[in-house]
Amino acid sequence: MPEKIRIIVNEDRCYLCGGCAGVCPALAIRVSSSKWEFFQDKCISCRICINACPVGALSAEPLEGEL
Amino acid sequence: MRYDVVVVGSGIAGPIVARNVAKEGYSVLLIDKKPAIGAPKQCAEGINIKVFEKYDIPYDRRFINREIYGAKLYSPSGYELEIRYKDVSGVILERKVFDKMLAFYAARAGADVLARTEALDVIRENGAIKGIKAKHEGELLEIYADVIVAADGVESTIARKAGINTYAPPHEFDSAYEYEMLIEGFDPDMIHLWFGNEIAPRGYVWVFPKDEDRANVGIGINSDNPRTAKYYLDKWLEENKVPAKKLLEINVGVVPVGGFVKELAKDNVVVVGDAARQVNPIHGGGMAEAMEAGTIASKWIVKALEEENLELLKNYTREWWEKDGKRLERVLKIRKAVEKLTDEDLDVFIQVLSGADAEKIAGGDYLEVIKALLKHPKVLMSKRRMALLKELL
Ligand SMILES: Cc1cc2nc3c(=O)[nH]c(=O)nc-3n(C[C@H](O)[C@H](O)[C@H](O)COP(=O)(O)OP(=O)(O)OC[C@H]3O[C@@H](n4cnc5c(N)ncnc54)[C@H](O)[C@@H]3O)c2cc1C
Ligand code: SF4
Ligand code: SF4
Repeated sequence: MPEKIRIIVNEDRCYLCGGCAGVCPALAIRVSSSKWEFFQDKCISCRICINACPVGALSAEPLEGEL
Repeated sequence: MRYDVVVVGSGIAGPIVARNVAKEGYSVLLIDKKPAIGAPKQCAEGINIKVFEKYDIPYDRRFINREIYGAKLYSPSGYELEIRYKDVSGVILERKVFDKMLAFYAARAGADVLARTEALDVIRENGAIKGIKAKHEGELLEIYADVIVAADGVESTIARKAGINTYAPPHEFDSAYEYEMLIEGFDPDMIHLWFGNEIAPRGYVWVFPKDEDRANVGIGINSDNPRTAKYYLDKWLEENKVPAKKLLEINVGVVPVGGFVKELAKDNVVVVGDAARQVNPIHGGGMAEAMEAGTIASKWIVKALEEENLELLKNYTREWWEKDGKRLERVLKIRKAVEKLTDEDLDVFIQVLSGADAEKIAGGDYLEVIKALLKHPKVLMSKRRMALLKELL
């Protein structure tokens, strides 16, 4: 089992471009024109969104101990 | 609310569908989550001149910033290939104006248009999709419609919520980053493209001129790259001593460059444009593709409504795959071969082609281009290069 992670956004870097939502295979990210949202229950910890962000606004935080 | 058709997303594909369907007298609602349709832009704004006539779009100076006469390609070691046409071959748009005007044409044709309206989900009743749930300035809307069009760009939320498989692996996306900035020293009548595995892995750096001394300067790289597009663009600017101190805009986005959606219509839901991954896999341009898909989709939506037979929507999938799909699959094959080129290969190819018949290259006949490459000693000497090129014949 891969490590379970939480994706976090650096709001000062994010452009709300929607790219991370587009590459996420699990619909775990929603980007409206005013905010970035993450749905933990849907995330499969694949980290695709982190690489895809053109500005590096996303990072992962381990969820250990919270499960 | 009830409409014959609801279109989610007012980029390029959405308003084309909304306009064409409304023109035939059907009730259409076009929504977009942005408060100002078209802004912020996520685009280098380059498009072929042919689209205006082909898709019945006015050649309006309000959204045409500049006319372009060709392209200049640069290899990693600095070899150049210039493809210059006698006549205007393309334009650089002002997409903020263009997208809004496309929505305006849809409105003028009879469609209702609601900015700042985000589609959240589909409405299902007894398993069937009856419309969408949306939010407009905090107010929840239930929009019922016979046909739902997902023109919601790379995110394709509505297409996916409707059960259309728009999944593409991470390698089939480009991450893109761009400055609209003051820049000097580049022929403003041409677009400029730099290639190289260190410069822009899998993609290229572009300068698309907007005025004599203003341009969209951007980059696209494979989106599964551990480094960011911003990293590579800033590195290129620094290495080329291009000062990045007059930045008018920063534009960010992810572009699908493969993984075209197989099933473009499912029951009463239709997916078009970036949402359907209908983008040219080599250059990442998707506006013309979105217009073409929107045109085919709207034709079948009108037929389906006329004959009250939603089964006809499936013809959009069939027709798109017969026309654009087949062509884009070939382009995808070329992209996959180009991806394997080393910097030395890129140098050789651009060097060879710059001496070849520019008219043929300009004509876009890629078979002729490959044949020209295959005859050259520097290609003949390399088994690997020969094999790569032969794959494409
Ligand atoms: C940096 C960059 C440079 C590019 N350069 C070029 C270029 O030079 N030439 C070219 O041809 N193409 C270029 N492209 C690609 C081009 O921008 C797209 O292919 C094109 O815009 C696709 O049109 P579309 O209508 O499918 O999607 P979009 O134009 O992305 O429109 C989708 C719309 O849907 C809206 N939306 C999304 N979700 C929702 C929702 N849930 N509810 C309501 N609204 C929603 C969005 O706000 C958006 O307005 C570039 C892309 C990028 C990122
Ligand atoms: S890809 Fe990056 S910039 Fe774009 S919405 Fe996601 S976090 Fe923000
Ligand atoms: S880690 Fe994977 S599943 Fe989780 S949000 Fe990112 S892309 Fe989606």
